[in-house]
Amino acid sequence: MEIDWSVIPGFLPQLAAGARVTILIALAGLVGGTILGLIAGLMRAYGGRVLNAIAFIYIELIRGTPIVVQVMFLYFAMPVLTGLRVDPMTAAILAIVVNAGAYIAEIVRGAFLSIPRGLTEAGLAMGLPQWKVLTHIVGPLAFRRLIPPLGNQFIVSLKDTSLFIVIGVGELTRTGQEIMASNFRAVEIWTAVAVIYLILTGTLTAILRLIENRMRIL
Amino acid sequence: MSIIEFHQTSKHFGDLKVLDEVDLSIEQGEVVVLIGPSGSGKSTLLRCINGLEQITGGDLIVDGISVREGGRQLRRIRQEAGMVFQQFNLFPQMTALQNVAFGPRKVRGLGRAEAEAQALELLDKVGLKERAHHVPSALSGGQQQRVAIARALAVRPKVMLFDEPTSALDPELKQEVLTVMRQLAQEGMTMVVVTHEMGFARQVGTRLIFMEHGKISVDGNPVEVITNPPSDRLKDFLQHVE
Ligand SMILES: Nc1ncnc2c1ncn2[C@@H]1O[C@H](COP(=O)(O)OP(=O)(O)O)[C@@H](O)[C@H]1O
Ligand SMILES: [Mg+2]
Repeated sequence: MEIDWSVIPGFLPQLAAGARVTILIALAGLVGGTILGLIAGLMRAYGGRVLNAIAFIYIELIRGTPIVVQVMFLYFAMPVLTGLRVDPMTAAILAIVVNAGAYIAEIVRGAFLSIPRGLTEAGLAMGLPQWKVLTHIVGPLAFRRLIPPLGNQFIVSLKDTSLFIVIGVGELTRTGQEIMASNFRAVEIWTAVAVIYLILTGTLTAILRLIENRMRIL
Repeated sequence: MSIIEFHQTSKHFGDLKVLDEVDLSIEQGEVVVLIGPSGSGKSTLLRCINGLEQITGGDLIVDGISVREGGRQLRRIRQEAGMVFQQFNLFPQMTALQNVAFGPRKVRGLGRAEAEAQALELLDKVGLKERAHHVPSALSGGQQQRVAIARALAVRPKVMLFDEPTSALDPELKQEVLTVMRQLAQEGMTMVVVTHEMGFARQVGTRLIFMEHGKISVDGNPVEVITNPPSDRLKDFLQHVE
């Protein structure tokens, strides 16, 4: 079979629709995952015994299981347990939220704890409440250290969306497979799919570089 | 009423007893110099005063408030007792001016313009007005410590606590910090100073306390105690630091 790149433009509308779904899942999932990760990470770093234990168990449960199992659980097992059905798209977004949240929690915890203890003490010693020390002193410093590993996790999560093929979400990889099923142009289609992923991750990397350069790294 | 009162104050770290039923009263205007071997509990005693360490026995009253109250009351104590650390602990993302204005703005609720005007005055007082817009990493150790003193003063405390403020500095930079501290003492500031600078103790101190194993073993006039050490261990200690 001859390789014929001219077939790609015909598939582009379909691939673009798949990419849009991928972006939507990643975006919604990562916004939620970052918020969840921030909360769980701060619970790990500053919470009392109980909050710390809750966050710890959550993080270990997620880190110890594959994301495919997590999304299968959310999509197939949760309805049985709770009686609440979710559509594949919701399950996919929730899976990214929960999964990225656990990894981001560890990143957040590490970044906050890497800020010298003396700075917190200096803030407390002048009579600031702990939360103001976190928001005004430690937080801004930790944020700078957060960006590189956070960017890495964003890229991992973006690519993880391709695994939601297992619950039939029409994201980019699934779209590629559907096109394949009706015509067998494997090289052309999977090259096009790969290039679209590269454009997405490349854009993300470029944005993160920009943010990093904007901040004075201390 | 004394500004600081230790009543049978103890501090444990697990099984380790670091402060052992300390009784001590400090009056307004005193400059108390704390000396003693490493590990004798000097830093812990200082850090109990502003609640950076929680006492585990007895009581400790600062400006009429017990450190045991915690929460808002403890924050009131901390506003009345400024602290200067061995490692300066300046906020690295802020300029000298922002460091000094930070407390008035976030603790006392002053507006930015007013806080920065006061901060500039304090920087002038420690001789660093022209360095106001430098970040800490662009300052020498001695300059950083002087900014740290200005930062603590900016909250308008009644007492200043110093934990080995010159120990991290090269010998030629110690004097500029000690000069600022001497000036502060002359203005009548109540000070508790952990230091091994015996010259400072003699000239500026109104009281010298020698700590051993979490207890106060000698408490007296600096010149008298240094000239005539009442215990052999203090005599040994003085020979080692001078
Ligand atoms: N956070 C802590 N946890 C456990 N032990 C500590 C802690 N801080 C200090 N100590 C111990 O308490 C003792 C007194 O310490 P410190 O007050 O720092 O002494 P000094 O300032 O006189 O050198 C030392 O034995 C030290 O190891
Ligand atoms: Mg010490």
